[in-house]
Amino acid sequence: MSENKSLLQLRGITKIFSRGTIDEVNALDNINLDVNAEDYITIIGSNGAGKTTMLNVVAGVFPPERGGKIIVNGIDITGLSEYKHAAYVGRVYQDPNIGTAAKMTIEENLAMAVLRGQTRGLRAASNKQRRELFHSALAPLGLGLEDRLNALVGTLSSGQRQAVALVMATISKPALLLLDEHIANLDPKTAQIVLELTEMIVKKEKMTTMMVTHNMELALRYGSRLIMMHEGKIVVDLNEEQKAGLTINDLVSAFEKASGRRFIEDKILLRR
Amino acid sequence: MLDVVSGILSFSFYEGLVFGLVAIGVYLTLRVLAFPDLTVDGSYTLGGGMAAVLIVAGVHPFLAMLAAIGVGLCAGLVTGLLNTKLRLPALLAGILMMVGLWSVNLRVMGGANVSLLREVTAFDKVAELLGLRSGSIVVSITVALVLAVIVFFVLNWFLRTEIGLSLRACGDNEQMVRSLGVDTDKNILLGCSISNGLVALAGAMVAQGQGFADVGMGIGMIVMGLASVIIGEALFRPRGVARLLVAAVGGAFVYRLFITVALRLGMAPGDLKLITAVLVIIALAIPFIQKKLRREWIPPAVRW
Amino acid sequence: MKKNLLIILGSSLLILVMALMPFFGACAPEEPPPPPPEEEEEEPPPPPPKVYKVCISQIVTHPDLDSNRQGIMDAMAEEGFIEGENVDFIIRNAQGDMTVAVSIADYYVSLKPDIIHAITTPMAQTTVAAAEGTDISIIFSSVTDPVTAGLVPSWTEAAPNVTGVSDWFEMPPQVEFVLSVLPDIKILGTAYNPGEVNAAVQIEILNDVAPDYGLTIVEATAATTADVYAAGMSLVGRCDAVWIPTCNTVGGVGIESIIKVGEEHQLPIFGSAVGMVETGLVGGASCDYYWIGKQAGYMAARILKGESPADIPPMKSAVSTVVYPAAAERMGITIPQAVIDEADIVIEE
Repeated sequence: MSENKSLLQLRGITKIFSRGTIDEVNALDNINLDVNAEDYITIIGSNGAGKTTMLNVVAGVFPPERGGKIIVNGIDITGLSEYKHAAYVGRVYQDPNIGTAAKMTIEENLAMAVLRGQTRGLRAASNKQRRELFHSALAPLGLGLEDRLNALVGTLSSGQRQAVALVMATISKPALLLLDEHIANLDPKTAQIVLELTEMIVKKEKMTTMMVTHNMELALRYGSRLIMMHEGKIVVDLNEEQKAGLTINDLVSAFEKASGRRFIEDKILLRR
Repeated sequence: MLDVVSGILSFSFYEGLVFGLVAIGVYLTLRVLAFPDLTVDGSYTLGGGMAAVLIVAGVHPFLAMLAAIGVGLCAGLVTGLLNTKLRLPALLAGILMMVGLWSVNLRVMGGANVSLLREVTAFDKVAELLGLRSGSIVVSITVALVLAVIVFFVLNWFLRTEIGLSLRACGDNEQMVRSLGVDTDKNILLGCSISNGLVALAGAMVAQGQGFADVGMGIGMIVMGLASVIIGEALFRPRGVARLLVAAVGGAFVYRLFITVALRLGMAPGDLKLITAVLVIIALAIPFIQKKLRREWIPPAVRW
Repeated sequence: MKKNLLIILGSSLLILVMALMPFFGACAPEEPPPPPPEEEEEEPPPPPPKVYKVCISQIVTHPDLDSNRQGIMDAMAEEGFIEGENVDFIIRNAQGDMTVAVSIADYYVSLKPDIIHAITTPMAQTTVAAAEGTDISIIFSSVTDPVTAGLVPSWTEAAPNVTGVSDWFEMPPQVEFVLSVLPDIKILGTAYNPGEVNAAVQIEILNDVAPDYGLTIVEATAATTADVYAAGMSLVGRCDAVWIPTCNTVGGVGIESIIKVGEEHQLPIFGSAVGMVETGLVGGASCDYYWIGKQAGYMAARILKGESPADIPPMKSAVSTVVYPAAAERMGITIPQAVIDEADIVIEE
């Protein structure tokens, strides 16, 4: 048992797609990572660096290659099916449509989410107590959603849907919160709102969070730890003190020094 | 004239309830689970055949109907297993079950036809209770209505429980449900079982009402169920579980109503099916035409 | 856009009006009989002649069932019950759909007719179920085993309101006829739908009887009309000749496919019903469904004249030998002249 109470340990995680064909790609290459409780990690990297793949492996969407291990709170969950990982992992996707059920109401979506990882039985899915819980979970968002529990999620705007998805991911207080470019599809104003909501929830619930983003500035400004990935490896890992006060240029140099390559992703550099 | 109309309406009401059960079964798989299940043709006959064989053997008709539900549950379970464990596509699993059940039904019934004319059926029991003749439409409606109401309340409650909610979410967004920790495979098994149990119950009811179970009685049931669900959705535009269940029954009623009307009109026998189809098309075109006349926005076509 | 809309509306209206026309006709109130013009006395005018309501239903359309229906109407006409004069025939066909059969039965019972003729087993069963508790007289025809079907208590006893004519026939004459045309065959093939109880029963008896004639039976099954051709093809090369039972699927609706197989592969096909043979088979000791229909019609006449169905015991069918020399030639054989001379019906082209 390590002193540092690692919440999540990744050991020797490798993932190969299209093995044996021309398209074979090493999406993850022997990743080793320790995530501590209450870490707020921002993960950045070029396209194909392996960021989303890493999240998918943690979430159990597909297993790592043999030999890799995923340990959450001391429990080895490697190889378990996705729905079994769900007990430990709350996830918000880039597309608001994936994280919520459009034809069901906000109340029903939250009722689904609150039972994350638990066996479901024949009790009524929603009762007065639960509704109050949903109300108090939605009220701090300041979007008025707590008064619209009977609205169909499909009628909400993307930003509102993403906010609901965020609440759904966290309401059952899972061990880990995974955010996969969750504001990338939103317009700048809404993205900012959702980002601030994320901050608020993460701080309030003291959630251990891993946020993937394309935006270097965001990655620097938010979070208590920054990880940069490249070609399936972690090339930069900065803790709070190390990342404080860094600029984007500093980050780019750090990348080039660690990976020995020039950093030429315009998209990331030009984002404001 | 009045008794002609009332005759048509009352018979269609009875058929709407009975085939409404089939429609609700189809709704559970097609809409709630987004799983197109063709087992229906087979499980309907299985329910009818099982109930008939048991009644002839002396079992109380109500117990025979419970047994019919039981075999229906099993049939649905097998379809679900073919899909979740063997990874057969849902459509194929249903088709294979439909085909295989034809032979199973012949075995269960010990032949192609089991007569119930000389037996005491649930309809006879209820007729005795009400003091009416057992072929009367009042008796038929009573039996069908009681069963339909029970099914409605049970399903309405069930679909609002934690398990029921996760079944509904499965058809809406299976990916999300998995990431919330639900074993979607189990949901499919549960949904398919319940659905085919209901369909088998309908078969058991119809067999007793029509006086026999026949290996061909289920042919076309899936079409009937699909038509009822889709007509019900188009005409009643229901929102919420309770209304959706009622809409399925309503769709069955409308569909059977048109068949009954077309039949009594006495068209050349071969034209009956065409007339039915035309009447349904007209019924469904009405909301569309209304929208056009009011220059309202018309939503894009759904595929199914 | 508007033009399309008008076209849709217009055609729908047209179809609707056409569809409803007979309905309006049926609803027209019955005209009171015109009083005799010269009548001046206090005597009331004579009551109008009673118009009997007779309903006829069948499960599906094919030549034999249609002959059955025609036989009913012709026999009743012979007995003085003529359509348009004193009989109103109401005729419906379930088109192979059992739920429609139930609908028809319910409809007929609601009409409170004098007689219901139900043709084929499922039609008869559902009619009897729907009429339970009423005293409507029901006459079945073309029901192979009315006792097992629950229609009558025994072959010799009719039910209080139900009697009729079965198309049951003895099997030996069937086999003997085939052997009279082809005495040297050893293997007899057959095709049927095991989902039809009438056919299944016949095949069971065929299997019992065949060894007595030194014959082996080879079976092919067809669950639907779509499967009939394949069933027929599967018999080619496996048998010397084929005999088709009175099966609605193979011998009725699907008979053309069987004939095609017989002609293409020179396999002689024998049948068990006149209509079946008439379509193009070699021949058979056949059930004459027209005759069956007539017997049912005569029964109806007796009931309308006052007898009770309970007093009319159910009938079995008689068989007539039918030959179709030209069809036999097409299937590669020649019918012996002696057989043609002895036959009850010879079909010419």
